[in-house]
Parts: sequence; C-alpha cells; structure tokens
Amino acid sequence: MELIIILGLLASAFAMVFSKRLSTLIGNFSMQSFFLSLFSFVEAIKGGHIELYLIAVLVFVLKVVVIPRILLNMVQEIKANENLGFFINPQLSLVVALALTYCSWLFSGMIFVNQGVLVKIYGAVSFSTISLGLFIMVFRIKALAQIVGLLTMENGIFLLASSVSGGTPFIVEMAIFFDVFVGVVILGVFVYRINRLFVSIDVSKLNRLRG
Amino acid sequence: MQILLILIVPLILAVLSMLVRNSRTRANITSLGSLLGLVLSVGICYQFIVTQKPIFSFNVFYVDALSLFFVFTISVISAAAALYSQGYIEGELAKRLMMPKQGKYYYCLFNLFVFSMLLVTVVNNLGLMWVAIEMTTLISAFLVGFHNTKNAVEAAWKYIIICSVGIVLALLGTILFSYAFLFSTGLKSLNWTEIMVFAGKLDPNLVKISFIFILVGYGTKAGLAPMHTWLPDAHSQAISPISALLSGVLLKTAIYAILRYSLIVNNCVGSAFGSHLFIFFGLLSLVVSAGFVLVQKDIKRLLAYSSLEHIGIIIFGFGIGGPLGIYGALLHIFNHAVTKSLLFFGAGNIVSGYDSHNMRQVRGALKVLPFSGFMVLIGLFALAGFPPFSIFFSELMILMAAFGQNHFLLGTTLLLLIVIVFSAIIYHFSRVLFGEKPKDMPVIKEPFTGKMAFGFLLVFILVIGWSMPYLLNGLIVAAAETLRGI
Repeated sequence: MELIIILGLLASAFAMVFSKRLSTLIGNFSMQSFFLSLFSFVEAIKGGHIELYLIAVLVFVLKVVVIPRILLNMVQEIKANENLGFFINPQLSLVVALALTYCSWLFSGMIFVNQGVLVKIYGAVSFSTISLGLFIMVFRIKALAQIVGLLTMENGIFLLASSVSGGTPFIVEMAIFFDVFVGVVILGVFVYRINRLFVSIDVSKLNRLRG
Repeated sequence: MQILLILIVPLILAVLSMLVRNSRTRANITSLGSLLGLVLSVGICYQFIVTQKPIFSFNVFYVDALSLFFVFTISVISAAAALYSQGYIEGELAKRLMMPKQGKYYYCLFNLFVFSMLLVTVVNNLGLMWVAIEMTTLISAFLVGFHNTKNAVEAAWKYIIICSVGIVLALLGTILFSYAFLFSTGLKSLNWTEIMVFAGKLDPNLVKISFIFILVGYGTKAGLAPMHTWLPDAHSQAISPISALLSGVLLKTAIYAILRYSLIVNNCVGSAFGSHLFIFFGLLSLVVSAGFVLVQKDIKRLLAYSSLEHIGIIIFGFGIGGPLGIYGALLHIFNHAVTKSLLFFGAGNIVSGYDSHNMRQVRGALKVLPFSGFMVLIGLFALAGFPPFSIFFSELMILMAAFGQNHFLLGTTLLLLIVIVFSAIIYHFSRVLFGEKPKDMPVIKEPFTGKMAFGFLLVFILVIGWSMPYLLNGLIVAAAETLRGI
C-alpha cells in the first residue's frame, strides 16, 4: 500500500518537472500533496494517535486545497503568461531528473546503511523530491514556479520526517505548517509586487542588482 | 520567567505600534521599550554570571551563557536601532518617501523582527529554532522590500527565495539529526539538551552528513560564501536601521544556530571535522568579500561585503578554536555588531542626505553632515581594525590563536586578506568623507535621537578597546567554556 503511494509521490514530482504550463505545474503539486496526505493518513492508522490524523487532515486542507487555490487565483488575477519558461528543455530536464533520482537512491543507501529496503526507498523518494523541487526552482523562469519548487522541497522533507524519523513533535509540526502557509502568502504578495513593477513575473528580469 | 518577559516586551511593542495613532509617540514607545528590553536582558545576564546556572523554563526554553551572549548583543543593537529609527523615519515621512500608515507597519515589523531573533536564541527545541529562523526571514523580507521600488522588490525576492532554500536544507539537516538520535538511542526528541546528553553515542557518519546540511543551510542565512548572494542586495536595499539589524545581529543568530549544532558534532566526532569546515568557509568568505570590496561603487553594498568579511573572520576564529580563538570570535561578534551598526546609521544619513547610494557622486560628507561624517570616520577606522578600537583586539586575538597553534599559512592568509579589505575600505570612504562638498548642498541638521544612537554605540567601541566590561567579559568567558565543552 505505502509503496504505491510513494510511487505516486515520485511520479507526480516527475510530472512537475515535465509540466509546461503554470496551471499544470500547480495541479501536479496538488496531486503530490494528495499522495503525501494519504501517506500520513496511513501512518496515522498505524500509529493510532489522534495527532497524526490531525496532521494528515492539515496536509490535505493546506497543501491540496488551500495553497494550490491561492496559487491558481494568483495566476488568473495577474493574467500571467501561462508558459513556464524553461532554462533547460523538458527532454533534458527528464534526463537530469532521472540522474538526480539515481543519486538520491545512492545517497539514501549511504545514510540508511543498516536499515531495510523499505526505509531506503522512503529515503530515496524523499531526497529525489527535494532535489527535483530545487531543480524546478532553479531552471524555471516564472516566479510562481519558484514558490511551487520550494513547496515541493518541503513536501520531500515532510515525507522524510514522517516515514523515517518517526515524525517531528506535534507542536513543531504545527509551527512548520504555520510557517509554510505564511511563507506562501508573503511570497504571493511579492509576486504581485514584481508583476506590478516589472510587468511580468519572469525572474530572469530581476537582474538590476549586481556586483 | 524572565525569559518570557524579554520575549513579551517586543511583542507588546509591536501591538502598541499598531494601536498608537501619533507617529512621534509611537517612535518614543518603541525606543523606551527597547531600552527596557536591554535593561531586562542585562538583569538576566547579571543573574546568570552570579549563579552560573543555565535556566530552564516551561520545557521550551533553555538559556545558557551562549544564548545570553546573543540575547545581550541583540538587545544592544535593537535599542540603538530603535533610537536611530526615530529621526530616520521622521525624515522619510517628511520627504514623503514613506506614508504615515507605513510608519505604523514599520514599527510593528521592527518589533516583530526583534522578537523573532530573540526567540531563536532561547528555544531548546531545534525544530522550533528552525521555525524562529524562518520567521526572521519572512518578517524582515517586508522590511527589505519596504520601499516598493524595483530594486527593493528584487532584493526582497532574492532574499526570501535564497534564504528559504537554505533554510529548507537546514530543516533536512534537523530531520537527519533527529533520525540519528532516534536510531542510536530509540528516543524521539528534538530538544538540544537531550540530544547533547547522548551526543557521544550518535552514528558519526550520519552526524557528519547532517552537519553539512546544517552548515550549508544556516550558513546561507549567516551569509557565508558561496551562499552569500542575497546579502549585498538585501543589506543595501533595506531601510538603514534595518540594514544595521540585518548585518549586526541577524547574521549572528544563524551563526548561533550553527554553533549549537557544532557542539553536538564536536562531542560526537571530535572537533577537527567542524573546525576544518569552519576554516574553509571562513577563508572563502574573506576571499570573496576582498574581491568585491575593491570594485564596489555603492556605499551600502560596500558595508554589506564588509559584513561578509567579518562573518568570515568570526567563523575562522571558531574554526581555529582554543581558548583564545573562541574568546576572540565571540568578542568579534559583539564588536562587529556594534561597529557595523554605527556605520550603517552613518551611511543611512549620508544616503538620505545626498539621495544617492553611489560613492562617486557623494563627496565632502564631513562638511555636509558634520556629526554623522565624523562618526563614520571613527567607525571606519574601528571597522578596518585600527587600534585602539575594539575590533582591533578581537582580530588580534584570532590571529594570535592561529599563530599560537602553528597555523602560519592560515594566519598569514587571514592577515593578508584583512589588509586588502582594510585598504579598500579606507580608500573608498576617504573619497566620500573628504573633498569639497557640492556647491548647492546645505549643511544638514541631524536629529538628537539619532545622535544618541551614535553615542550609545560609540561608547562600546571605545570602552572595549581599553578594558572589558565586567558583564560582557563574564558572559563571553562562560560562553567560551560552553563552546569548548568544559
């Protein structure tokens, strides 16, 4: 069961790398978060604590419903050009993504030496989600893509925390959720400002400060 | 209990800033409140020096000498910045660079920013510490992008994105630490005190990998090269009192986080691993800053790159270690915070007086702004490491530690880089300060509160050059003992 969910997580990360339009990217992010909430729900059933259920629900509400909604609204409101803008074309991106995933597998094997294969897979998927998120942040031109990339990285870390290290303490988890949410809102505010001042949300235009 | 008091003061001030209508009253409240915060933190530091007992409270806070040293530094700089803000913000309001409503937001964010930095230094839970550091980024992003110009928004965007990526990596490091702890002891905890107890039992390889993530992650926030790219943008575009806070204490809170982890790492794998990394990043930061300082045109960017240099010196000092190296690095944290804040205040007055950041257009600042110009002149020599000012002594200690441990090559490299930055800074600033003032430029009158802020910081720069105040010395000695694991 968990393996399928994990596979879904990884597949949606690849779908994000392959997305050409902003709305597709956000949709794929939402799908990934859905798998993540499913995963934490399964963990909750195994653990049986009320707090774990609460976390699963929060993941669902925040990352599957609210944040994608905010991002999609933003896309509509600023009438952004839907094309994501590639610094690296999709085919090459796929090759890089595969390489990153393989490296994550090796890295996971290095860290979780004395653990079963399942833990290694969890680790590999987490690390590759993190690195794919970073990849999207660096090699996509639209400012919104950077927000989605950051959230993807956070998804990867969340997966690692809940699968391998037995979850973070409840209060910390809540604080992190709060932080993520506030972060998205603040980044959103700045996307509006960039759009107003630079008449586009291409980060390649942000090149005034140098040296 | 007192810790709670220290944290509550800025929170109350933030609420009051939103409620009070009159802009002058609002500014006074923040200044007085920040001074109260300073008094409270001096009280708690004094109490610690007498009892020498770390303070636990509510199972959330853990405060030892290391935390208190940072609390004290933050309180000093925030009090000075609050005083300086009074005149500065009034000037901005008078010039209509800022709307009256924005003044309200400014003071609210200012106090929240101070609160978040204080929070970093007193929490015990490493996860909460992460949250607090992320909070400092989110709050200060608004203060960086406050003016809503193209440059300011670009700087704020880069700041928030680069630091968030860094901090996500730090979260990964935090999770790996908690996994290492779970794996070796079977216990689930993120409390620093608990992990510290079992530090010796953790898996060394895992700890090493986690620490690299922590160092790169929080190092981004501390402005270590090559992750420093946000720093000059953010420092130059932020409102001047905030530039002082960013450079003076925000970078240091990230260093605090790194030091907390390095204590665990040192206990687990020995001190060589951490110290090699520290020396590497320290020297790299120095090299990068030396290059950029030489060719700089923007006065605030110049100061930002000089912060990079000093962060490099501090980390280098911790890397060299030993009683003298660590004492020197801690003292350097305080000295740099005080001196750089003074210079950012001065640069702020120069920039708003001339309406330009460009050092080629600013001439004769000593004649146009007699008071700030003179303060900048003193601050400049202090910053460059001229005796008898405070920074000279802390740099000397770090150099002596390096040579004392027979690191001749490292010590010489450090000295050479310091000299390059020294001459570049003196060269750039001498052209700004001296020379004929532009003909149509009147002599600018400066507000009294601003002068008080300068005077307040100058006392520290001068006094520490001659003798160590009892309180600061006690704190640094105790903090250095904590760091050396005694």
